[in-house]
Amino acid sequence: MQPPGGPPQKIALPNIHHVIAVASGKGGVGKSTVAANLALALAQISPPGKGEMGGVGLLDADIYGPSVPIMLGVREVVDQRTTPLPLERYGLKLMSMGFLVPPVQAVIWRGPMVHRALVQFLTDINWGQLDYLVIDLPPGTGDAQLTLTQTAPLSGAVIVTTPQDVALIDARKGLEMFRQVRVPVLGIVENMSYFQGEDGKRVHLFGHGGGQKLAAEAGVSFLGEIPIDPRVSECGDQGEPIVHKYPDSGVAKAYQALAATVIEQLGRTDKGPELPEVQL
Amino acid sequence: MSASGAEALTPVALSKEGTDRLIIQWSDGHRSVYTWQHLRNHCPCAGCREERSKPPDPFRILKPSELIPLAPLRMPPVGRYAYKIVWSDGHDSGIYTLEHLRSLCQCPQCSVRAAHPAQAK
Repeated sequence: MQPPGGPPQKIALPNIHHVIAVASGKGGVGKSTVAANLALALAQISPPGKGEMGGVGLLDADIYGPSVPIMLGVREVVDQRTTPLPLERYGLKLMSMGFLVPPVQAVIWRGPMVHRALVQFLTDINWGQLDYLVIDLPPGTGDAQLTLTQTAPLSGAVIVTTPQDVALIDARKGLEMFRQVRVPVLGIVENMSYFQGEDGKRVHLFGHGGGQKLAAEAGVSFLGEIPIDPRVSECGDQGEPIVHKYPDSGVAKAYQALAATVIEQLGRTDKGPELPEVQL
Repeated sequence: MSASGAEALTPVALSKEGTDRLIIQWSDGHRSVYTWQHLRNHCPCAGCREERSKPPDPFRILKPSELIPLAPLRMPPVGRYAYKIVWSDGHDSGIYTLEHLRSLCQCPQCSVRAAHPAQAK
């Protein structure tokens, strides 16, 4: 749904070097986990004071079902009179609808309200200087995706999928949406790819090679595989993502490799020119 | 997931010609010409699409805003993939994707192709 008065002018974020959308067609593929851990892995490479701008932010664009508060250990609603937004955790700057609304309260909004909230999160929050702002999108190809592709200066999108066909079908739709709105797709990351036992043997619980196949079919890069580890969900529930809590684990290393690949892709990707204006 | 040929096309420059025409110069060198009325007649918004799908009503009463000649006020880009047109009657909900704009071209070459698609092949 389009907001009243049509989409607004493009938002300029001159202090943010790259805005990266993390998306999936389907819910439940671990998109928020990937977004949070990717942001932390990027922050390990590009901490405040290093890089072109320094620092990494994580914006939770899932207005109806925000996951960032619990994953990053923010259990209480934020009192904005005493605590400035964005919040800071583990070196990341964070913003989420979940900071403003109690977890038990449902946000029952139509599209234009979602649009307004996301634009405010981008423009009214003092993000400061950032090398990367990672945006955790809700699943699907709806209002939040449309608002961000129409207004935010996205450098590119990372598509998250799991190996099974039911996730791949929807990942393909998500990918196609970014293509149609001419946002570069940085690549596909396959989450929950395999479980590695103590003997080092990999067990592909949900099939094998689906993400790689989709990337090849779509002509985009395959960014990597993230293994399954029960500690991932434990860490998420405890509010300290695995990249921060167990930086030497196999999963954390996979995220560190993913972050390096994403940076490499950003260097290669041409966003293309802004559309020319016309004076009437 | 093949990309259509028109997908990569981008406008290089847009300009107004007289009071009733828009010119778009594309990255492949093509020069598109449109009358504003043609663009309005093909507005892609949900309301206009629904209106076009209905049979014409010969007894339709015009709204006061329809009595004033229609003019475009602004044509801002939407992301990197479309433009919207803000019209003098307040209508502004149509998002014209670049592919749609290209398909609406009224230059003599494109008009012939649109009128005789079989010959164009």
